[in-house]
Amino acid sequence: MRFTKASVLKALLTLGAWVLALLWISPFLGIIMVSVRPVREVLHGWWVLRPFTFTWENFVNAWTGQLGTYPLYVGIRNSLIIATFSTILPLTVGALAAYAFARFSFPIKNLLFLTITLLMAMPPQVVAIPLFLLMSRLRLVNTYLGLVLVHSAWGTPWIILFLRNYFMTLPKELEEAARIDGASDFEVFCDIVLPLCKPALLSIVALQFTWVWNDFFFALILMMHPEKYVATQCLAFMKGEYHVPWGLISAGSVITMAFPIMLFFLLQKYYVRGMVGWLVRG
Amino acid sequence: MADVRLVGLTKFFGKVRAVEDINLYVRDGEFMTLLGPSGCGKTTTLRCIAGLEVPTRGEIYIGGQLVNDLPPKDRNVAMVFQNWALYPHMTVYDNIAFPLKIRRFPREEIRRKVLEVARMLKIEDLLDRKPSELSGGQQQRVALGRALVREPSVFLLDEPLSNLDAKLRVYMRAELKALQRRLGVTTIYVTHDQVEAMTMSDRIAVMNEGRIQQVGRPEEIYERPANVFVAGFIGSPPMNFIEGSLVEEEGRLLLDTGYFRFDLSYLAEVVKEKATESELVLGVRPEHIRLVKEPVKDAVEASVYVLEPLGREVIVNLKVGDVIFKAREEAGFRAEPGERLWMVFDKEKVHLFDKRTGKAIV
Repeated sequence: MRFTKASVLKALLTLGAWVLALLWISPFLGIIMVSVRPVREVLHGWWVLRPFTFTWENFVNAWTGQLGTYPLYVGIRNSLIIATFSTILPLTVGALAAYAFARFSFPIKNLLFLTITLLMAMPPQVVAIPLFLLMSRLRLVNTYLGLVLVHSAWGTPWIILFLRNYFMTLPKELEEAARIDGASDFEVFCDIVLPLCKPALLSIVALQFTWVWNDFFFALILMMHPEKYVATQCLAFMKGEYHVPWGLISAGSVITMAFPIMLFFLLQKYYVRGMVGWLVRG
Repeated sequence: MADVRLVGLTKFFGKVRAVEDINLYVRDGEFMTLLGPSGCGKTTTLRCIAGLEVPTRGEIYIGGQLVNDLPPKDRNVAMVFQNWALYPHMTVYDNIAFPLKIRRFPREEIRRKVLEVARMLKIEDLLDRKPSELSGGQQQRVALGRALVREPSVFLLDEPLSNLDAKLRVYMRAELKALQRRLGVTTIYVTHDQVEAMTMSDRIAVMNEGRIQQVGRPEEIYERPANVFVAGFIGSPPMNFIEGSLVEEEGRLLLDTGYFRFDLSYLAEVVKEKATESELVLGVRPEHIRLVKEPVKDAVEASVYVLEPLGREVIVNLKVGDVIFKAREEAGFRAEPGERLWMVFDKEKVHLFDKRTGKAIV
């Protein structure tokens, strides 16, 4: 085998990539290792592999809460409900608004779009207190509806921006042809535009669902009743006052992570194809 | 079926004038072509008829009904776009069926009509395919099918052959014309290709810079162009032009081009009646120039510049001073570059235009 400059360079780059990949994956590896082993085995570091006892105990305890923590199945259920509706609602509203911005003319359109875009820059912490007061007055604190509305309001602007730009890449002739064929504006939107936007819509589903699923801040200020805690809250409250149950928290984290990861894998082929196609078209 | 009437149709995009004061009548069942160079306003006119653009001024009547305020779906027109605009996520069947599904036709009737149209266009084997799996010609037929299935009053076609290769274009020209004859649908066709216009149309409306230059049958447009633009646009190779001034000498009326003098005495009466000034443009088509090797009366001396053999004929480029003339000769014609020849113009076929207005005098 000849060691040319190019092959040595390639080998070094590959080695570097492997090192980076291992560094990147090591926290996840650590969490998984701690979640499937009894805590006594990992006290000196998860990378100590002897002795190695495989156990589901941490998962069972995290899920059921039988060690006195808030049961994770409650948090998962609540997160599923909130993330699902907090994805469907802004997607529906945002898609309709984005189409209007992309294809119709109306007064102050540009000013409105600019306002929506600029307000996206506002961090949620800035509005925490007024938001709580508003939700409190509307009696929406500790309710699914309240948190869904907040996440929907927060998600709609970026969905409008994303989809409006995507709609503008679609050839207008398709919509014109549909209008001549007899379709109303709404039928054009539903029968022609939306099916062509499947990659973009599924990308939004993946991203919005994950962001809502991972949210801790809004849930912390709006959900106080343990029955309404989301998964991230359940995880945070697993930490005890005098002791940190690493195994429990790790198992809880693995369970919580699994849902958005599964969603990304399920939708991967659509949004990767969509992103590549969008780049090529752009 | 319906006639189409445009009255004073004008469309501005901001300050840009796309079309102005278009007055056109398309008879019921007629094949009318809007012909002109890119940017002349022919597609804008078509889109106004379809309802995709709102006219700035003017009226559009379809079947005697004023349609300015009607949306596209209520005008009973069908349109085939330049890139066909097939719905990529639908099969051929669903593409053709779409206009009927939108109008809530019963399923059985949709199926019957789609199959009927598919058989007529010979695409019945393609119904399960998606547009991306079809060739250009097949996609075009699907687009036609989608337009035909609705049995529209007016058929609007926006350069539907421009995305096809040359051979397929020639084939589809004949097919389209035959189809239109068979169905008798009023058809308005937009193209920049004069061959398409000449071969397919009952009448042609030649457009330039947003205005109609001339409307007439193909042979009228060719033999009696209304102005310099129409004369130069129609015909391949285009008409030869040379400017000159009228002079009278020894009782003869001559056109002095600076390179030669052409005797217009035989047209003196018409020229004196219609010419508003002495600066004219002489036009003669390549097929109306006969080349001779010896000088004869009224012949114009020229030197051979280049020959363009086309198989069945030869286009001879000749130089007269700085002006290039093109003449058509039979295949087998031989001449050397620089060789002196004489051009004899067919006097009955010569055209004269007013230099300032461009309008035809003779």
